[in-house]
Amino acid sequence: MLQSALAGLAAGGAYALLGACVVLLYRMVGVLNFSTAAVGAFGAYASLEFLDLGWPYWVAALGGIAVGTLLSGGIGWVMSRWFFEVSVGVRSTVTIALLIGLLGLAHRAFGDAPKAVPSAFPGASLDLGVTISSDALLALGLATALALGVGAFLNRTLLGVQLRALSERPTTAELLGIPARRLSLLVWLFGGAAATVAVLVIAPTRPADFSSLSFLVLPAMAAALLGLFQNFTATLLGGVAVGLLEGLATYFDAVSPYRSVLPFVMVLLALLWTQRGEVWDAAR
Amino acid sequence: MPSAKKSSSRASILGAAALLTLLLGAAQTALAQNKAPIKIGAISSLTGAAVFPESSQAAKAVFDRVNAAGGIGGRMIEYISEDDKFDPAGASQAARRLIDDEGVVALAGSASPIECNVNAAFYAQRSVLSVSGVGIDTKCFTSANIAPVNVGPYSEAAAAMYYASNTLKRGKVCFVGNANPAQNAGYDGAVARWEKLSGQKLALLDRTLRPGDDLTPTLLKVQRAGCEAVIFSGVEPQVVAWMNAASTQKIKGIDFIMLSAAYTDRLAKALGNVGNGMYAISAFEPFSGSAGTLTDWHTLMNASKVPLNSFSQAGYVAANVMVDALKKVKGEITRQSVTAALRGLKNYRSPLMGSAYTFGSGANNPNQSVKIVRLRGGQWVTVNTTWLRLPAAGQ
Repeated sequence: MLQSALAGLAAGGAYALLGACVVLLYRMVGVLNFSTAAVGAFGAYASLEFLDLGWPYWVAALGGIAVGTLLSGGIGWVMSRWFFEVSVGVRSTVTIALLIGLLGLAHRAFGDAPKAVPSAFPGASLDLGVTISSDALLALGLATALALGVGAFLNRTLLGVQLRALSERPTTAELLGIPARRLSLLVWLFGGAAATVAVLVIAPTRPADFSSLSFLVLPAMAAALLGLFQNFTATLLGGVAVGLLEGLATYFDAVSPYRSVLPFVMVLLALLWTQRGEVWDAAR
Repeated sequence: MPSAKKSSSRASILGAAALLTLLLGAAQTALAQNKAPIKIGAISSLTGAAVFPESSQAAKAVFDRVNAAGGIGGRMIEYISEDDKFDPAGASQAARRLIDDEGVVALAGSASPIECNVNAAFYAQRSVLSVSGVGIDTKCFTSANIAPVNVGPYSEAAAAMYYASNTLKRGKVCFVGNANPAQNAGYDGAVARWEKLSGQKLALLDRTLRPGDDLTPTLLKVQRAGCEAVIFSGVEPQVVAWMNAASTQKIKGIDFIMLSAAYTDRLAKALGNVGNGMYAISAFEPFSGSAGTLTDWHTLMNASKVPLNSFSQAGYVAANVMVDALKKVKGEITRQSVTAALRGLKNYRSPLMGSAYTFGSGANNPNQSVKIVRLRGGQWVTVNTTWLRLPAAGQ
């Protein structure tokens, strides 16, 4: 039973890492980015193309990260140009359209041939009764680094505070002299790079077709929601918890068929708990 | 009198002229009818989440060759291949376009995961037959108006289990697959059929996977159940992830048997050595082999630049079935006469198929023979040179 739960650690690391990417963009530019994983998958697929050209792994990976970064930058440019003043809801909806667009574009660009995504450190693994691959450990490590690093950056540095102001009141921030558009573009570029790294690390452990990778954003969002899209540590723990729970669920035949809805049950419970003190009218 | 005589001769001239025009007209229509092409349709998923373009491409190559040799009794074959976009609404529209607007006499070489389910009732209503190339959903194998040339996932699953229990002599056979309610009846039937044939019970049946799922927990479950052979009905990316996970977990001593969806060159390339020892089902003479029976298919596909895989084999076989049925039609080629000719095919043999093709008036799943291929160093190797014919349950 413990083995089954631990087997979910790889998935947990993936959800946590992508969840951290989602929270990153939400806290810094105020967009719930549904296309996070799709942008990352696009970058990762680009690096697979580079590998096919005979490039060494690390060069191809960097190339893919560059593609993901630029793609995300392009999205950020569109966002700050056309959707700067609109509400969070509208901006987030735009990213759903982008997700669908990217799914179509990737199908054209990369085809539907099955891909084997190589591991960054092939062969390395940790044996806990179930073998945890180096990729899964890397995902967990990166998620932790991203969560702690960005959390500290936002809370402890001037730039971080400016970015928080930007996400909450973009126009006010701009009037205060914060170079809002330039900063938000920077965040988008960083978000694209982070998402591509995330997918490159996740893909070796999962069925690596473009749409499956893109829809990893859903459990990742569940993880992020456990941190109410604000708290990096809660997102990290939430992601790992969702993964462990999914793994554990395969052990019990009665719940096994329903394991993919478990993240949402967790979200529901978390919401009920965090809202427990609210009075109905005030909470609305 | 002379005037009367004159008028009667004029009448006869007029009558003769009228008769001549009538005759000429009739001859012209007869000629036009002779020259009008024979319309054959196909509905495939050519765009969308998963695509199957090779079957209809191969069928077109066969029909083009027949046309180049003069057609069927001087009439050309017009092959109209429609795209259902992997979308039920698209499949339904495509069928109406082909049958009601274009007036096709039959369908051949369709390849779609959804098309049969959507259109089986419509084919029955319009009395049209479909010699499907790649049938996937359950309706493809339970309709009186559809008879696919491929074995199909359900009979393949039964054959894979039968191979595991009867040839590999594995006691604990397990089945792992995707949660897809549309396929449940088919796979349940396959399991029941195998249990009857082998007298064994499955050690583990897990059809709860979804396309993007992490596969390690399921693999542990397989290990816990003590499976000695696992039939895995996942699609290509899942097969890659499954074999990768098995390699990470250092699992030894379990035979993995995949269905024909995994028997592709690109999968062999993606897996490389990680796939060593993995089995797959081939519904036709294995395309990666060198059997002499492959020569004609090989030559035609290469000449028409159609990829060499089991889907293009399916399209090739389906189109040849259709051509041979058309040649058997006596008199005018209509939907009715083609239907009668297809139903009249008795023990039709194709060099690529291990079973005879028949188009009965009940459920149709004529292809019941498979060959087994195995991955060795990124190459497919044919394991059994004779066909493994799946006995009917109860035999």
